[in-house]
Amino acid sequence: MSYVVPIGPYHPALEEPVHARLYTDGEEITDAEVFIGYNHRGIEKLTMQRNPIQTIVLVERVCGICSHSHALTYALAVENIAGINVPKRGQYIRVIVEELERLHSHYLWLGIALHLIGHDSLFMHTWDEREAIMDMLEEISGNRVNYGMVTIGGSRRDIDDDKRRHLLEMLDKIEQSMLRLRDILLTDKTVALRTQGVGVLTTEDAIRIGAVGPHARASNLPIDVRKDAPYCCYEDFDFNVAVWDSCDVFARVVIRVLENFESIKIIRQALDMLPAGKINLGNKIPRIPAGETMFRHEAPRGQLCYKVVGDGGEFNKRVSIHVPTFRNAPTIPTMLRGNSVADAGLIIASIDPCFSCMDR
Amino acid sequence: MQDYKTQEYRKISITKDEIVPLARKKLAEGATLAMIHGFVNDQGLPNVSYEYEIPGGIESYTVDGEKVLPSISEIYDLGAEWPERELMELMDVTFEGVDTSKRLFMPETMLSGQGQIIVTPMDDLVKKAHGKEEK
Repeated sequence: MSYVVPIGPYHPALEEPVHARLYTDGEEITDAEVFIGYNHRGIEKLTMQRNPIQTIVLVERVCGICSHSHALTYALAVENIAGINVPKRGQYIRVIVEELERLHSHYLWLGIALHLIGHDSLFMHTWDEREAIMDMLEEISGNRVNYGMVTIGGSRRDIDDDKRRHLLEMLDKIEQSMLRLRDILLTDKTVALRTQGVGVLTTEDAIRIGAVGPHARASNLPIDVRKDAPYCCYEDFDFNVAVWDSCDVFARVVIRVLENFESIKIIRQALDMLPAGKINLGNKIPRIPAGETMFRHEAPRGQLCYKVVGDGGEFNKRVSIHVPTFRNAPTIPTMLRGNSVADAGLIIASIDPCFSCMDR
Repeated sequence: MQDYKTQEYRKISITKDEIVPLARKKLAEGATLAMIHGFVNDQGLPNVSYEYEIPGGIESYTVDGEKVLPSISEIYDLGAEWPERELMELMDVTFEGVDTSKRLFMPETMLSGQGQIIVTPMDDLVKKAHGKEEK
């Protein structure tokens, strides 16, 4: 018997609004469609009435998880148009916050995935460990969500020696907790049974549809903007691009676990090698020169693109935002085909979607 | 200029007839389509750019002033179809061959953004959908 099973846009199992239509044959999904736009707030339009500093405040609110990524990508785009040379200390501080954001985002997703597969005790444990990362972000920025750390020409807050030492100590503790979590996640039977062989996205499909970030790397595609087109001095740091070849939901769990260790490695290097000097150029309200650029940035969920067009005036002429979920969500129908309806929620969540980001 | 690595951005103007052959060539070379962006130019016409990833940056192929463009969704699959459908719903531009029977981004019950600059604040569209013009 064939049914069309709608999920969302408003559904208890969804954290954010999205609509998926599943075409089924009995329990098996034969095809699927995804519809977006339910959380559209017109942010791109609003950027056209704001100067660069106001825009940073605005775009930081596109997403509650990768807020720093949005502010940073916009700032990098404007700095690229204007040829602004950001002090290295400012760049390193940007990297530290960026990698902490990646850590807390990956922990958050691991918790959600565990909740969806029914392993609630580990879900609560994961989110408990995540609190230490939120504490570190709060110590650096004073905030837990929108950090307000980015300005055009650098960072807004410095990290002094006491804070640096304390952050390194906290990082050791997080690494220990991550090691424990890794051992459980990679050996637990419940996790394996619910994730292995589920929601497969082959390497060929990942390339064809254009998957990005951890989602692509879990399909054995070694792409990472931090390596492929470095920015913010990422070329100074020694880290690996984690890939996994099973291409299923389990691979997406493994990739995020491995990336957490790489992020810890980068933060430790950045704190150890933090250059002396200024953290920003002290610009008040810079003008965007006439010109345009598109800047790519490796946000926690993948490649984040900001296209910025300036006409030399006070405001942006155009800011176009495309987030990793916009690249990864089109892979959902391919992953769903041949799986059971019961796994649909987990498969959709396995791209680590952020629909608020996508709908901006 | 920056004393560290940053991303290169190359802008290249093309005609609408070059869009499909270019996409085929880029796919054969293994290039990824990063995004299709659009905005409205000073003459009120669409400016659509095809952003292809290159090592260390982006090559942006721009078509200016054309309201009807060929689709490259047969070449880059949903990676191109989604941005094309989004632009069609938000701007006054049409991509030939793309299925428009269902909306991707804008709700079916709401006016499309056609003819307006991309991404009009939602409350304006709600007012127009319910026949309430702005004061």
